Parts: sequence; C-alpha cells; structure tokens
Amino acid sequence: MSNEGQTPDLTGDRGLQTVRESTYKYALAGCALLSVLTTVGIIAVLFVDAAEFFASPVVTLGEFFTSTRFSPNLEPVSFGILPLVLGTLLITFGAALVALPIGLLTAIYLSEYASPRTRSVLKPMLEVLAGVPTVVYGYFALVYITPALNVVIRTLNGAVGTQFPTLGLFNGISASIVVGIMIIPMVSSISEDAMSSVPDSLRQAGYGLGATKFNVSLRIVVPAAVSGIASSFILAISRAIGETMAVVLAAGSRPPDIPPVQTAFGIIPYVGPGDLLGLYSESAATMTVAMINIAVSDLSGGSTAYQSLFAIGLTLFVITLGMNVISDAIASRYREEYE
Amino acid sequence: MATQNETGFGQISRLRGTVFKYLTFGASLVGILALGVLLAYVFWDALGLDSAGTAWYLTYTVVLLAPLLGFLAYARDRPAVTAGALELVGFTLAGGLLSFAAIIVLIVIAGPQVWLTYFLTVIAPLIGLFLYGQYDREATWVGLAMLGTVVAGPIAGTLLLGTIGSAAALLGAPGVYFLSLVLPGAGLAAFLAADRFDASTRVSVGTGVVIPVLAIVGVPLVDTVPVMARSVWFAVLVLLGMPVGYAVANTARRPARRAAFALPAIAVGGLLIGELVVGAVGASQPSPWLDWQFLTSPTSSLPVSAGLYPAVIGSVFLIILVSIFTFVFGVGTALYLEEYAPASGPVGTLTRLINVNISNLAGVPSVVYGLLGLGIFVNIDVQFGPVGYAGIGAGTVLTAALTLSLLILPIVVISAQEAIRSVPDSLRQASYGMGATRWQTIRNVVLPRSLPGILTGTILALGRAIGETAPLIMIGAVGTKYTPPGGLFDTLTAMPMQIYTWAFLPSEEFRYGVVAAGVVTLLIVLLSMNSIAILVRNKYQQEAY
Repeated sequence: MSNEGQTPDLTGDRGLQTVRESTYKYALAGCALLSVLTTVGIIAVLFVDAAEFFASPVVTLGEFFTSTRFSPNLEPVSFGILPLVLGTLLITFGAALVALPIGLLTAIYLSEYASPRTRSVLKPMLEVLAGVPTVVYGYFALVYITPALNVVIRTLNGAVGTQFPTLGLFNGISASIVVGIMIIPMVSSISEDAMSSVPDSLRQAGYGLGATKFNVSLRIVVPAAVSGIASSFILAISRAIGETMAVVLAAGSRPPDIPPVQTAFGIIPYVGPGDLLGLYSESAATMTVAMINIAVSDLSGGSTAYQSLFAIGLTLFVITLGMNVISDAIASRYREEYE
Repeated sequence: MATQNETGFGQISRLRGTVFKYLTFGASLVGILALGVLLAYVFWDALGLDSAGTAWYLTYTVVLLAPLLGFLAYARDRPAVTAGALELVGFTLAGGLLSFAAIIVLIVIAGPQVWLTYFLTVIAPLIGLFLYGQYDREATWVGLAMLGTVVAGPIAGTLLLGTIGSAAALLGAPGVYFLSLVLPGAGLAAFLAADRFDASTRVSVGTGVVIPVLAIVGVPLVDTVPVMARSVWFAVLVLLGMPVGYAVANTARRPARRAAFALPAIAVGGLLIGELVVGAVGASQPSPWLDWQFLTSPTSSLPVSAGLYPAVIGSVFLIILVSIFTFVFGVGTALYLEEYAPASGPVGTLTRLINVNISNLAGVPSVVYGLLGLGIFVNIDVQFGPVGYAGIGAGTVLTAALTLSLLILPIVVISAQEAIRSVPDSLRQASYGMGATRWQTIRNVVLPRSLPGILTGTILALGRAIGETAPLIMIGAVGTKYTPPGGLFDTLTAMPMQIYTWAFLPSEEFRYGVVAAGVVTLLIVLLSMNSIAILVRNKYQQEAY
C-alpha cells in the first residue's frame, strides 16, 4: 500500500553497465573497421607504388600493356606485361579445361545421383583437394607429374608415331593439371549448392511428363541452376589466375614467347593453334610468378624494376576483383527465385 | 506388341542414363584419386618404404593393421565406442599439438624469464579476474578490468622485464614452469573433476594434489632421458597428460564406451610387438628421411644432415600469433556485423558494404596480400609530427604473422558469421526477455552456442595460413635460416618456405628424399589440425540434438 504512486525501479544501478555495453560495442566496431582498413591499405599500397612506376622515364603506360618482352633484370630492360598475361591465360585455360567439366559432373553426381551416405563421404574428401598447400601441389607437379607425363609422351611417340615434344623440367601442362585439381572443389561445391536449391517440385514435374533421370538432370536441374554454375566457374577461374606457388614450382620463371601473329585473307590476324599448344611444353611464367621472381631477386627497393612488382600486382588485383564482382552479380541477378 | 514397345523405350533411355551416372561418379573420383596417388608417392619416398623387406610388411600387417581394421569393424555399429575412440584420439592429438606449441613458444622462444614476466603481468591477473567473475556474476567491472589487463599488462610486463627476469633466474627454469604451468593446471583439474564429473570434494582435491606430486616424482625418471628437460616434462604433463586424462576419465565412467580403450591398446601394443618381432627376425626395415634427426637439425647442403628444425619452430610460432590475432579480430568483426550493426537505414547500407567488402577480400590472391604486407609493414617510412613509423622489418615474425592474419581474416569472419547466424533468434529473445543486456546475451547465449562453429572455421582457416608461401616471400622472409627465431622482431623461415627453397635443388636425394620429408611433416601438421576441427564439429552436431 505504501508503494502506491511510486514507480518501481526497473533499471537498477546500471552506471558501470552502460559503460561496459558501449565499451564492448565500440571495441567490436573497431574490429569490423579493420576489414575496411585492409581494403583501403591494399588499394593505397598498389596505387601509390604503381603510380611511381608509371611516372618513371623508363616505362610508359602504353609500353607496359603493349610491349612483348618482360625482362626487368637484364639490359635492355623492358616491362611488357603481355608475355605474363599470355602465361596466365595458358595456365588458366589448361586448369579450366581440367576443373570445369570434372567439377560440373561432380556437382551433378553429388546433387542428383549420390546417396546421402556417399555424399557425406565424398564432400569432405573433395574439400581436402582445396586444403593441400599450393606449394605442395607445385612440388607434386615438378617431381612426379612431369616425369610421368614424359613417360606417357615417349610411349605414345614410340607406339603410335605421334610427334609430341617431350616436356622441359618446367612446363605449363603440369602446372595446369595441378591448378585444375586444386580448383575442382570450388566448382563442385558452389555448383552443387545451386543444384540442391532447385526445388524438388520441378524434378517431380519432369518425371510426371515421363522424363528420365538423365533428362531431368541435364534439361531441368542444370538450366535452373545455371547462374550458380556460371558464378562458380568464374570464381574458380579467378582463383586459378591468382594461383602462385604451384605455378612458380611447376611452370618455371621464364615467360612464354609470344608466337608469331599470322593473317588470314590478308586482314584477320590469328595465332597458329599449334604454336599455342607448343607453349605448354616449355616454361610459362605467369603474372604471379614474375612477382615472386622480382621479390626474391636482389633488386633494390625503389628501383623501377622493383616497382613493376606493384604494377603487375595492381593488374592482377583489378582482374580478380572484377571477376569476383561479375560472379556475384551473375549469382544474384540471374538467380531463378523459387518459393 | 505394347509390351515390346515399352521395353524398347526403357532400354534406350536406361543405357544413356546409366553411362551418364557412372561418368559423373567417375568424375567425382578423378581429383580424389589423383591426389591419393600423389600422396602415396610422397609418403612412400619420405618414409623410405622402398628398402623395407617383405617380412617387415607382413609383421606389421598382422600385429597392427589387422587388429586396427578389426576394431573399426567392431566399432562401426556401436556409436558409443566410436564416440569414445574419437574422443580419445582427438584429445591426444589436441594435447600433442598444444604441448608441442607450448614447448616451442614458452621454452624455446620466450625462455623462463620473459615467460614468467608476462605470466605474472598478463595471464595470472586474467585467470584471477576470470575466477572472480565466475564467483561474483553480478560484478560488471570484471570484463572491463580484463580488457584493461590485456592492454596494460604487456606494457607493465615490458617495464618490469628486468626485475621479474632476475627473480626468474633465481627460481630456475623448472621452478618457473612448475609455478606457471603445473600449479594452474592442478587447479583446473580439481575444478573440472568437481564440475564435470560431479566428484566429491575429497576426490577433486585429490586430483588437484596428484598432478604436482606426479610432476615432482617424475623428475628423477625424466633426468635419465637426454632429450627431456625438466621444463619440457612439466609442459608435457600438464598440456598433453591432462587432456588425455580427461578423455580417459570421460570414457571410463561410461560402461558403453569402455571398449574404446582397445584402440590405444592395439596401437601401442602393435607397435611394440612389431618392433620386437622385426628385431628378432632381422627383417630389413624402412630407412625414412623423416626421422628425429630431420626434425631437430637445421638445413644443410648435405641431404643426410638436412633438417627442418628452424622452419618447424618458425611455423608454430607464426600460427600461434596468427590464431590469436584472427580469433580476436575475426570473432569481434562477426559479432559486430551480426549482433550490433543495424540492417537498415544509412548505417545498414554501410553494414551491407562491409559484408560485400569482406567476401571480396576473401577472393583476393594471397600474393597481393604479400604486397599489402610489404607496403604497410616493410617499405613504409612516415612521420606524424614527432612520432615516426618505419615498419616492423622485412621478414620478421611479427610482419609475417600480421600479413597472414590479414589474409585469413575474411575467411574467419565469414565462417564466424555463419556460426553466429545459426543461433536461433528465440534464444536471444528469451535472454532479452529476462532483462539481459545485449552484451550479456552475447556472452551467455550467442557465444557459447556458436563457439564450436567458430572454432571449426578458425582452425580450417589456420590450416590455410600454415601452408601459405607467396605472402612470406613477398615480405622478404628468408628461405634458408639455421637458427629458430628468438623473438617477435627476429627473422624467420617457415615450413612451406623451406620446401620451396629445397624444391629447386637439383640433387635427387633432396628432390625425392628431403623435400618429401618436409612435405609429409607439413601435411601431418595440417591433417592433425583438420581432424581436430572435424572432431569439434561432429561433437557439436551430436550435442545439437
């Protein structure tokens, strides 16, 4: 009765508690800020040093993107990024040739055919492929895959009479194979997620029309999941472009020679496919390999050759970031929405 | 007529479908089989199985492999036995890695004087505050005081380094580790016995007394083993012995799980009997490259005397620093984004931007992170008025640790966000309904529920960090170093760096011997970390029901 008219104190003594709540909130916000700072740091570091590189009298922006020779250490120096881009394209194309079909078929198996038990065994094993350090993959390519491929080539040349060249110690094909193996899980897991999210009612409708499981998988599930599949392809290719250590160990440090450009009918320029294939048997340094070479060489910091590191790094960053953004855009824009 | 049509239709479709099914199945095995073959080759080379005789294989198949397969077949349909065996193996692995890491950081790198200083200024106050917080749950100042200790403790420690260091010199190295490892360990054991096993006061106090007594009684025995210093013995007893003891006690008190003890018995017994039989028969044994000498000596130009010791120490030191940085900042970021940051309004846009930014950071090539580390930790020289910052040195432990932390931070944040998001909202609402504040809800509801998921994601990300090479090369880590790092500002080499340097040597013995041994060491460390992550996840999934 005596309490009547008196408001109960629901808040209690919260003096220190308020301090605590806001301290923790701002401490955690500070942590989140770190990720923004990382991005700012990457962009600042790359742009500042790349700008210094392009400001130097030895190189111009046009020369960097059009010159066909990359030799930062040996006189006369030249900083054309084209051979490195060609090396990256060779390795990435080879890796995609290995990983995209295998990854897609794996995703179809896991999503449509595998029993839950098989799936629970296969999925972690596939993840292991991405968990092995890339330097280990490079070692595998260098000491096991290249000699094995040479045995196969010699046997083929001897038995069938083909004229394949034997592989050098460092070659593009072994690098392509290991990079391909390591990006399989990226293709398979993202594509499988996309296929698993296709609603069962679509499959049932297909069966109801008399389609077989094969038809349902290829004509209904794959088209319905195509945005997820495309985004997984792009992400995997972006990963292959940025791959470093496996390529350093397997593909060696010499950039590929740009093959002679021929012209068809006098106007259409093209490069002979035989010339391009031949490049796989030799050393094929990529952009990432060139960066490692500059970092381990004894070039002095601040020299133009040393700063070319950041120009290549910026190019690599822009390419991979662009591909990630495109992949995100495809995944969200073209996603089929189901209930 | 009708029947014929039907079968014909079915047969045509079935053949194509079956071929396709096996094609997809084959494709899913291609990568796994390829990696399996490569791994088999590298293990074969590293362990020198070439030179083992038939008698050696026969012996170990009979005494070790067959009983192990028998145990697996027995445990297959008995979930309790499987759970017990996994717990025993998991705790032994975790304890092994923990004591290994502690020996390297506390004994090899820090040494008793530095360790005792920071133990007294940082770790002991934290333990004290934590215990007080458990006793008086109303005290709001405890958490703030812990935060303050984390900031002020290291500074106080650096100032007091000389004073406490000389006290530590008086105490002697074993005394320091007895005080800082064995006694807190004994306290923890007594607490666990009372809390987890509902032991009576007498039993739990007894558990607490047994550990220091065991430590002292063991000393004369340990002194006879040349590689086992007294300090190492204390670390192993507390950090390996206690987890194993916990798993053993936990298995022993449940009758259905007791059969799991057969697994360690088979493993240890099989190895001992195998050794005896092989010795008696005189079978030719494998000549492994990966042996004690390899793990304890620095690299060399001679394959037979080359080793991985400085690189192992460097990698372990690195991974411990990286795990501290990424756990604190990764979980902090994830908590802010999931629990505090508003999802709508102008700040909501910022939150979304940060999320997109983090997922894009996860896709940036590791070599670019190397350039970031080079730019902000090595090649920098700026002046803010009187304060100058000229980086923290090319190829130092701290530079490498910070660079690798930035590299795996996005992965840790994304997995921690997923774990936090999987905590049902009803639990949060219930906590708020009881009058809890946001932080109390996070501490008592969200974090305990999401911790296993966070730990799994963090350990898997650390596995990525331990194998990274390109960023280390970019920040100027050296490939050949004959001594382990002595502190945060010392240069280091790491396991993948050493493998990279060795792989270019032309000698066959390096190529197929020493490098293979290095690769296998790296893979074994990775495998143990990943198994622990998987065990944590499995345990969590079981308890979720």
